[in-house]
Amino acid sequence: MSHALALHGVTKRYGNFVAVDRVSLDVAAGSFLTLLGPSGSGKTTILMAIAGFTVPDAGRILLDTKDITALPPEKRDFGMVFQGYALFPHMTVAENVAFPLRVRGMGRAEREDKVRAALDLVQLSALGDRRPQQLSGGQQQRVALARALVFDPALLLLDEPLSALDKKLRAELQEELRALHRRVGRTFVNVTHDQDEALSLSDQVAILNHGKLIQTGEPAALYERPATRFVADFLGKSNFLEATAEGGVLHLGGLDLAQADAPASGPVLLSLRPEKIALLADGETAANVAPGKILSWSYLGAGYSLVVDTPMGPLRASLPSWRAPIAPAEGLAVRLGWAADAAVAVAEDPA
Amino acid sequence: MNGGHGPGGGHGPGPFARGIAWATALYLLLPLSIVLPVSLTDQRFLSLPKHDISWQYYHNLFTSPLWLDAMAQSFWIACAATAIAVICGTLCAIGCWRLARRSTEVIRALMLLPLIIPSIVYAIGLYRYFAWAGLLDTFLGVALAHGVTGIPYVIVTVSTALAAFDPRLEQASRGMGASLRQTLAWVILPRIMPGIVSGGIFAFIHSWDELLIVLFIASRNVYTLPRRIWNGINENLDPTMAAVAVLLIGMTLALLLLDMALRRRREG
Ligand SMILES: Nc1ncnc2c1ncn2[C@@H]1O[C@H](COP(=O)(O)OP(=O)(O)OP(=O)(O)O)[C@@H](O)[C@H]1O
Ligand SMILES: [Mg+2]
Repeated sequence: MSHALALHGVTKRYGNFVAVDRVSLDVAAGSFLTLLGPSGSGKTTILMAIAGFTVPDAGRILLDTKDITALPPEKRDFGMVFQGYALFPHMTVAENVAFPLRVRGMGRAEREDKVRAALDLVQLSALGDRRPQQLSGGQQQRVALARALVFDPALLLLDEPLSALDKKLRAELQEELRALHRRVGRTFVNVTHDQDEALSLSDQVAILNHGKLIQTGEPAALYERPATRFVADFLGKSNFLEATAEGGVLHLGGLDLAQADAPASGPVLLSLRPEKIALLADGETAANVAPGKILSWSYLGAGYSLVVDTPMGPLRASLPSWRAPIAPAEGLAVRLGWAADAAVAVAEDPA
Repeated sequence: MNGGHGPGGGHGPGPFARGIAWATALYLLLPLSIVLPVSLTDQRFLSLPKHDISWQYYHNLFTSPLWLDAMAQSFWIACAATAIAVICGTLCAIGCWRLARRSTEVIRALMLLPLIIPSIVYAIGLYRYFAWAGLLDTFLGVALAHGVTGIPYVIVTVSTALAAFDPRLEQASRGMGASLRQTLAWVILPRIMPGIVSGGIFAFIHSWDELLIVLFIASRNVYTLPRRIWNGINENLDPTMAAVAVLLIGMTLALLLLDMALRRRREG
């Protein structure tokens, strides 16, 4: 049985400083939510409030329909993977995993069965007798997962579980974490400041900044339709076009912009992803065309990243490197084009 | 022994520093260099051996009921005092660490008072209270006095161990549903056990060779080894006392080596 979690106006202050500001969230039973935000945005504080280690100054936390705001952590029955894992160094891997069962006074035979099953789940059955210090970072992380899952927790909380690992291992464990989530079908709440991790793992992503919840949604929805400049900038890369609407037409840098569902008048901020800008061949055209010269470029393996100086200002465009139509060079004249529905209007963030 | 490092660090000690280090070490060993030969004397009074080395006073020590009794008393008192110091000191250190307020800093400092106050002042004070409580010249009284004055050693070593304890382990334990008692027994105590053992060893040594307080609060019934030596020196000059002194030093040395060995094993 998995459980739903809800936060209503959760606020946490440290003196005059508001670390978490009226955050409301709904996590459906069995779904995977990621809290994403820059350092200091309040992610850990929210997770600690969910776990019960910090008591919010205002707001409520509900598990299904039960108010758990004031329940102490040892009564909540949540599994937690701490940043750095917090494995007990004086216990073996198997003893670490058995800990939550021992706490619950479970008999030895049943305990051993469950520990074996949990270690199988994370593919560590062979290492039960080792100490945590004798494991690699990725193995330690899996022990922490097994320990958090072995007692069938109502909820699994993860605080940057992958941040200590190198890039390749991180990608591998992201896969495993996703597969694990599907297998156990529990509700997961994950914290990260890695946007790729958030996009690839989650059913829902909640974006935080300065303690405030900026936007929640499915990864693709957030990426394609960011609500504010901060979201567009934090999730992936983006160009920002500060245009003016006049009689249903957008103007920027002396050019007209074709933009789907543009407002009739006033200033408009558009977010345009680099991969949605195409390099136009001679004679080719698009809804929006901007001529320019390459200011700078870099090779990224799968593609090139170009910065092109246009009348609208410098625009970042990406170009697949496989059979690229041009050989990028500084000063090379190019034409950029994009469709009328490539850019999305976003709001300016309140200061 | 680290004679001293140049201000640059990373250099070996110079000849001057090395000389001072050795002089200090020899000075510390000086009493032993007298007591050890004297304990092997063939004479009938406290003196260096004249013709031959003799083990008679060691034989005497381990056959005389008087000395054996003192040895047993010292041992059991030290054990009881160690238990008191370890239990109280550990609980106090853990309590202060968990609360971690300014007031707990004051409490911790207060618990170190027995180290700071001159023993003689302490002994006089104890005498008055023990007379009133009927604890003078009892096993319990001496064990209590030694236990309480041994607490600072435990507090210092346990607090040091706790400072190195990762507080997330406690959070992890509670998060998995462990009560405070379970967290204490299964997570905190095993992690700080080396500190507790060290503190216990020092508390034992403290009681084992403590004289001043015993002189004040014991009379007829309680005769610890140091007190027996003290009386022996005042009454007759029996060389057995030198043998006892060697035994005292030997025990202390053995315990210190044990402490070092345990530390090394933990770090290695
Ligand atoms: N105990 C505390 N006392 C005072 N301020 C605190 C405390 N804990 C957190 N803060 C502040 O609250 C803000 C949010 O902290 P939090 O740890 O939730 O950030 P985070 O989003 O997890 O950041 P990171 O990605 O660096 O872990 C920070 O500015 C931090 O300085
Ligand atoms: Mg954090």
